[in-house]
Amino acid sequence: MQQEIKKQIERIHALGATYVDARWYPFEETNELFMVNGNLKNTSFSRESGVGVRVLYKGAWGFSASSDLGNLAALFDRALDNARAAAERVTFPIRLAEKDAIQAQFTSPNQINPFEVPLADKVAFLKAMDDQLNQPGVFQRFSGLDFTRKQIVFMDSEGSQIEKLITEVFARLEVSGLDDQGQMHDRAFRLNQNGASSRGWESIDLGLFSQNAERIVEELRQTLVAEPCPKDDRSVILLPGIMYLQTHETIGHPLELDRILGYELAFAGGSFVRLEDFGKLRYGSEKLTARADATLPNSPGSFGYDDDGVICQNNLLIDKGILVGAITGRQMVEEANAKARRQIFDGSGGTNRATAFYRVPIERMTNINIDPGQDGNLEDIIQNTERGIVLDGDRSWSIGSNREQFHFATEMGWLVEDGRRTRVVKNPTYKGDTLKFWNSLSAVGDSSTWEVVFVPNCGKGQPNQIMQLGHGVPVCRFDNVRIGE
Amino acid sequence: MKERILQTSRELRAYALQKGYEISLFYHEEDSYLMRFANSAISLNTNEHLIRLEVQAYSGKKRASYELITDLDHIDEIKQAIDTTAELVQHAQPLNYQPTIPQYSASFEDESSYDPTLAQMSNDEKLQFFNAAVAGLETEEIKLSGIFSCGENIVAMINTRSEHTQFFRTSDAQITTVLAHSQLKWEVSAEQSAQRKSDLNAAALHDDLAFLLARYQQDTPRQIPLGSYDIVFGSAAIAGMLRFMNWIGFNGGAMKRGYSCLSEEKTGQKVLSEKFSLVDDPSRRETFPFKKDYMGIERNPFPIIKDGVFQGFTWYQDDADEFGAQPTGHTVSHNSLVLQSGEQKVASLQELAAMPRQKDVLYIPFLHYMNIVNPSKGVFTGSSRFGALLLKKDGSVEIPYNVRLTQSLLDIFGEKVAWLSQTSEAYNTSASYGARNPSAVITPLFMQVNDLEISHSNASY
Repeated sequence: MQQEIKKQIERIHALGATYVDARWYPFEETNELFMVNGNLKNTSFSRESGVGVRVLYKGAWGFSASSDLGNLAALFDRALDNARAAAERVTFPIRLAEKDAIQAQFTSPNQINPFEVPLADKVAFLKAMDDQLNQPGVFQRFSGLDFTRKQIVFMDSEGSQIEKLITEVFARLEVSGLDDQGQMHDRAFRLNQNGASSRGWESIDLGLFSQNAERIVEELRQTLVAEPCPKDDRSVILLPGIMYLQTHETIGHPLELDRILGYELAFAGGSFVRLEDFGKLRYGSEKLTARADATLPNSPGSFGYDDDGVICQNNLLIDKGILVGAITGRQMVEEANAKARRQIFDGSGGTNRATAFYRVPIERMTNINIDPGQDGNLEDIIQNTERGIVLDGDRSWSIGSNREQFHFATEMGWLVEDGRRTRVVKNPTYKGDTLKFWNSLSAVGDSSTWEVVFVPNCGKGQPNQIMQLGHGVPVCRFDNVRIGE
Repeated sequence: MKERILQTSRELRAYALQKGYEISLFYHEEDSYLMRFANSAISLNTNEHLIRLEVQAYSGKKRASYELITDLDHIDEIKQAIDTTAELVQHAQPLNYQPTIPQYSASFEDESSYDPTLAQMSNDEKLQFFNAAVAGLETEEIKLSGIFSCGENIVAMINTRSEHTQFFRTSDAQITTVLAHSQLKWEVSAEQSAQRKSDLNAAALHDDLAFLLARYQQDTPRQIPLGSYDIVFGSAAIAGMLRFMNWIGFNGGAMKRGYSCLSEEKTGQKVLSEKFSLVDDPSRRETFPFKKDYMGIERNPFPIIKDGVFQGFTWYQDDADEFGAQPTGHTVSHNSLVLQSGEQKVASLQELAAMPRQKDVLYIPFLHYMNIVNPSKGVFTGSSRFGALLLKKDGSVEIPYNVRLTQSLLDIFGEKVAWLSQTSEAYNTSASYGARNPSAVITPLFMQVNDLEISHSNASY
């Protein structure tokens, strides 16, 4: 197959394409199990294979994909035809940043292939979790396992050939309950990592899940009898279970370079960030240092090489509060540098990824991380907070179309008065303007508070694409934030 | 093609029966084309032809499924998938209720929503349409974005309980045009949904864009004060809220799990404005309807809210099985929601702007990034986007920066409803996550709701 793909790449290149690549998925398989109140609602497997072809012709992209590999020549021809049509309306001819021709392989770290684990073992795990969640006060209980394994062979007209074997494991427990007014409340736990070890079946640690099952049931019970969240301005202390989403939505998405350049305006939205902001904009307080680190040993945001064939990197985005970088691929850095009339980006940041063989690669978050700080552990931060609220768990999130403002609802809220947690409140929410919020960052927890939170379902693009990634984040405190709306 | 799909389905059924399996097969084929525009160029031109086959196997109260992307030539691969699913189901865990296995009493075919001239529009035709929609509107600063998505969608199903098949074929197009100021970052939009090629109307898109663009170029956007406003929602915003109502309002399974702002006791009671009547009407071809659901139940117009009175929940078969409810023919990938129009004579944005008014009115055409804050109370949040206007009582028009609403659907569709427009349109609600699944909601062009609080007002874009 590789030989045939290579032959087709050379043929299309010879027909006038300036660049051609193909991603052949020999296989992608998934296995999802989902239990609700003891009922195994979903036991599903899937398997797919196919090729996606991308052709650059006279400065325009054409793409075509098919699961039918019987006529590769026709598939490549369609991609070229699509590019020729797109070349009828070009305003900035696409150029690709330089890269090395790479021959490489990448395998994500895992010890036990989850697809070789008997279904009975997976069901037994869910049943054990469901039994543990089945306690007074719990109205609905959910537990789920989600496994993916895919092989990707990338080849391009610049001489690269990269083979990747990626295994993903996601797992989640959730309970919900009704309070005395019939209002629903939730509490969830999802499998995360600390950025090390591996993510095969071995990461489904019964002890870890058991411990957290007890915790979320107890926290749900506290919420069910709590008073409503007050509506006022105070400090918010975000635990990793919501800090990851704050980072995702108001640092990750606004710093995708295709969004900044207006490539998502028809759907996902734009960004308040402008090209002239790089190197100048005070994005946050001096305590804020953020990076796109695709080199973490174990995270869905680490994938060896992106779908442009560029090696994964660890790049600064925000350095002590100043905006210095973005989430970039080969096409966008060239356009950004040209439009800015200065060299903002030295080359691709290696973040272009596609969700499947039948989608085109676009800039995606890798691991968008916040560096740990020097403000101690969670208890230290609480002790140094006069009036605040500790928040955890994502319940709802909504962000302005240029990522300029946001509204989040969380599962848990613990009020803080005079340096100590006082009581739980129900239906906690907070909102703010992105830049004002990050500039109010007043405390960043040390490495003991830093966790990598996995994201299985980041959506972007048209046609829509779901992507997996991670966020390594510490506990953080922000001041003068409106809560309770 | 149809005969080949149905014949292959029958062969696979025979294979399963011969092996003693209890299965159902769900076939999905899409031929999708998407031309995407950004920065006044075609940023992507793509097509995918994909065949997905889902095998569901049953054994008593157990079930398991296997989905593959395949080709009808790969019959051995598909048979292997059937074998695998039959093996898997033996290791599944029994449900505590008996799942209903589909059983069709007759074969059913519906290609009435298929127009090949729409599904197979050429690259040239799509580009010409877009060029006409924005003719003369682009400048150095005003850049075009958007999509022209069109395609063909085939859904077919068969099971081992009967020899009958169901076959649905639709064509669809979703067009979004956006004009954005590259420096000031505002953006205006016009959209269209088509089931037939004759539904396409580039001139209508052009009119809307030109009107909004003129307003945005004439005025300087400003931050409007927080507080209470009379708000006119456009069809995109209304469709977005109806979609949420479909999720946390009248879905029986969600209600039983506590994720609903309605309860069984509310059936027969007035829960919304008497101006609000909502029906699931599969006779409306603009909604890309299913006239039978996946269980073979005939789908007829199903009143959900009539003059504000809640008529009853819709039920997926699996939820009905679990909670002992009567299935309602809603085991489909999307409903055909129709919000009945009202009496206000306003048929365009231009007419809306020209209407006499006693108070300033905020026009919100589109709600961006909606999410549920509190399902039990029906509270959602979202921000305005794509061309909001502040229509002043003196007849002038101002441009507000985007605002955020955090409100209950029960309030917005409740007593605060002032009027709904006589004119309706189909608003395309298709999403392209996973398999192509064209859907649309028929909604009045405009709905005015009085006295709604905005919870956040931007100081810029």
